[in-house]
This record gives sequence, C-alpha cells and structure tokens, in this order.
Amino acid sequence: MELIYSSQYYTFFQSDKERCFYIDMGQKVVRLSFCQLLALRQSVWTINIENHFEGDANPHGLEILSLCNKEHLFVLNTLEVLDLKELLIGSLFILDIAAQTPTLSVKS
Amino acid sequence: MKDIARQQMSMKVESMDMLNTQIQMEGKASASYLAMASWCDQRGYIGSADFLYAQAAEEREHMMKIFKFVNDCGGNALSPNIENINHDFSSLEEIFETALSQEIEVTKSINRIVAAAKNNNDFGVENFLQWFVTEQLEEEKTMRDILDLFEIMGRDGIALKFIDERIKAE
Repeated sequence: MELIYSSQYYTFFQSDKERCFYIDMGQKVVRLSFCQLLALRQSVWTINIENHFEGDANPHGLEILSLCNKEHLFVLNTLEVLDLKELLIGSLFILDIAAQTPTLSVKS
Repeated sequence: MKDIARQQMSMKVESMDMLNTQIQMEGKASASYLAMASWCDQRGYIGSADFLYAQAAEEREHMMKIFKFVNDCGGNALSPNIENINHDFSSLEEIFETALSQEIEVTKSINRIVAAAKNNNDFGVENFLQWFVTEQLEEEKTMRDILDLFEIMGRDGIALKFIDERIKAE
C-alpha cells in the first residue's frame, strides 16, 4: 500500500496489487473501489456545510456518512467533514484525475 | 505506482462533474418542454404541442447520451433531481421565447464544458461534445425561425392559428 495523501484526521492509500484504495478514517480503515471512491466524493460534496453554522438547520453540526453501499457508517463533526473534503481534493489531485478547483455543482 | 484511477476512468473528475451538471440541465429542459406542451395542448395549439412533445423527447435523448457517456468512461452519472418547472405562460409567443432562452443557456453550458475540457487536455470529452455544439446551433435556429413567424404573421386571432399550423414536429 502506498501513501497518497494525508490530512489532519485521515490518510489516503492506494494498493497497486488489489487495484483499490484505502482510507484510514481513524476508527477503522475502509477499502474502496474506484467507483466507491467517486460515490464517497459525491456524498461528501453534497453535505451542506453552511447548515452547521446556522442555529436551527443542523444544531449539533453532525453528519451521518454511509460508505461503500452502506457497508460502513460514520458520524462526523464539522471539522472532520471539512478535513475529509480536503483529503479527497488532495488525493484526487495527486492521482491526477481532478482539476485544480473542484467544481461539483449538481445541487438542484 | 500504478495509475489505478486512470485505468478506471478515462476523463477528469472535473469533466465528470460538469457533464453531470449538463445531465441535470438537459433533464430540466425536457421537463420544461413538457410543461410548455401541456399549455399548448390545453389551448388547442395542436401543432405547437406536438412540436414541444417531440422537443421534450429529444432533450431526454440528449440527457441519456451524456449519461451513458459518463458511465462508459468509468465515471459516476447522477440521475437528475428536477423541480421548479414553470407551467404559467401568457402567450404562445412567450412559450417560444422561453424555449429560445433555454436553448441559449444550454449552448453556453456546453461551450463552458468544451472550454474546460480543452483546458484540461480532456480530448475525449471535447470530441464527444462536438456533436452537441452542432446540435445546439440547429436548436437555436429552429426557435428563432418560429419566433420570426410572429413578426411576419402577427400575434392575435387567426394569425396564431396559422402560426400553429406551420409549427410541426419533425
């Protein structure tokens, strides 16, 4: 396994042998296929982080994140969500499939 | 280190995002044409209704074309979430003005993706979108030609009936 990118809380690895990726989430290490990685990215990007700073919308600032077709479940606080976003931006940039600025804007 | 990500997906993530936005836009355009078709159908503008039903189907085809392309490239195509469709129009002319504005927005969006793909050296995406660039020129021309009919024939009474008869689904 090769280290690709590290953020404050998380670490992203690639396994050439298994043709997959691993994220050390702190509590456990999650194995992701490429399409599961894209799905994780989609889930993280659609989190409305602004709600964390508005009193009523998300008073506790927690997000429930389901990974790998509901195989894993994480409860993340605001800082962890922001850190996970940073991890994904950095990792995809190093993998050379992302442009410099993430532009996901699929919100309706 | 193997380039696993590149082995799995033959486009940039940014292109995938922009194409997903385009899927959303084409889906919304399809739903919007359907609302216009309904308005025309209810008021007896049968030619226009048939034309707009066909346009709705065509926009959906465009959406599916992009949807399939994203998945074929190993990306993650997202089914669009469509809401806020306008069903209120004041005239037949307003319908086609709205349609033209919608087509112009779609053209601009396609152009933005082509420009970004060029910038990112994502030539597969750029090549795929060339068909859409040509298609959008045609779509805009169709709407402009219909709006010209209002200038030539007038905007009330029997003129609207004649215009409606001249608007036909291909």
